[in-house]
Amino acid sequence: MDIKTLERLQKLNQLKLTEEETEKLMAFFETAGKDAEILDTVNTENVERMVYVMPMTNIIREDIAKKLFTRDQLQEQAPEAMDGYWQVPRLVD
Amino acid sequence: MYIAETEKSVKNIVVDDMILTTDMATSAGSRMLDGYISLFEAEAVTKLTEAGYKVYAKANTGEFNLDLMGETSFYGPVEADGVLTTAAAQAVKSGDAMAAVTLEVNGSSARGAALAGLTFVKPTYGTVSRFGTIPAVCSGETVCVTAADAATAKEVLWTIKGHSDKDGTSLPQEKCVFDEVKEIKKVAVAKSLMVGEGAAKVEEMKAKLSAQGIEVVEIDGEELLLAKSAWNILMSAELCNNVSKYDGVKYGYRTPNYETIDQLYTNSRTEAFGYLTKSVVLFGSETLSEDNYFKVYDKAQRIRRVICEALAKVFGEFDAILAPVSSKLSYTAEEAIANPYIAYEESLYIAPAMISGVPAVVTDGVQLVGPAFSESSLLALAEKL
Repeated sequence: MDIKTLERLQKLNQLKLTEEETEKLMAFFETAGKDAEILDTVNTENVERMVYVMPMTNIIREDIAKKLFTRDQLQEQAPEAMDGYWQVPRLVD
Repeated sequence: MYIAETEKSVKNIVVDDMILTTDMATSAGSRMLDGYISLFEAEAVTKLTEAGYKVYAKANTGEFNLDLMGETSFYGPVEADGVLTTAAAQAVKSGDAMAAVTLEVNGSSARGAALAGLTFVKPTYGTVSRFGTIPAVCSGETVCVTAADAATAKEVLWTIKGHSDKDGTSLPQEKCVFDEVKEIKKVAVAKSLMVGEGAAKVEEMKAKLSAQGIEVVEIDGEELLLAKSAWNILMSAELCNNVSKYDGVKYGYRTPNYETIDQLYTNSRTEAFGYLTKSVVLFGSETLSEDNYFKVYDKAQRIRRVICEALAKVFGEFDAILAPVSSKLSYTAEEAIANPYIAYEESLYIAPAMISGVPAVVTDGVQLVGPAFSESSLLALAEKL
């Protein structure tokens, strides 16, 4: 792990670390990287990946629109809203 | 302790801060969701209420329940008699709640129960609906029960289990019936997990099991060590995906420090998430990157199958595996906070059951892990001990 990669990851994930946090995290990546090394010792060439441990089936529902909540209810939790719209900074000049 | 209390009754159930309720805030222990009140409630809450239980309070958790025992909560850790505990365990231990229903994400519920001397059951993955829980590590997280004894844990688990159309990972109803009690006659102790102070509790339990006429046999269990590494990778990758939606736009914390949309996103997430969550997100993101996807993430998913097959082999010969729950018998909040990655280390003990979805019962400070749908048998044994 190098500082450039860590900067790229922060940008991708919309996060910003302090200098002290960056240093701590670099050390953590070294330790966590060992997990990958351990797994690498096992030959999984003929092993299929397992995403879920139980067999999953799609749940099919009728394609009928349901109005579960009103706009007002949904916007009760909005950090900023006006006239029924969520407010964000200007995106296009 | 962060517990929003309402009226008390003898059938009081406390649910943790990952389980949605419409009359109390659900914050996932995070500043991001501080004060968030859901418009709908969790399936487990609906089932409890319909059965006459009173979901009376919310128990504090660590941020997204990733940590050791709540030490990363935005509201601060919970300590009892100078040692770290979970708010859920404390509510049960104090007698305020008959049981706690919590979302087990990375072992904090099991550890909280074990270190408080309570009974805990993590049922087979898919037998309790996750609808209305805050998603963190979807392929492993499970709605669990903590109680003072096995009979109460069973009563509450039987109330909340069952198929749900609202949860794509919910098993069919016929699979959610695990009433058959099979007598546990042979238990394996994996030497690979017998490290740390928790091993002493296992030794005590071995004597108890032997006194019950149960054969206890030591096995190597080397494959179980892989579970920790694979789980840490899968847990981080899934968490990274699940918290990507928190951006400060439609709900949740929004920074006052922004002029552009990028600043709104970045500053909201940076100010709201704690250090552990940020670390897990960044590490998870790295495991999913183009360079690492096959080498790390895909590999961990294949190892998950290796572990499931290794466990199936053990359960072909043994009825359960006996193991410690944690490396120490008590922790202070200070030491947990000082080591932000302590949960990554402690996942050694909980990873085999979390990654494979098999049930685990904590009793007398140790865990008994059994094959899928063996919770009745494990709880029956815990009741006898």
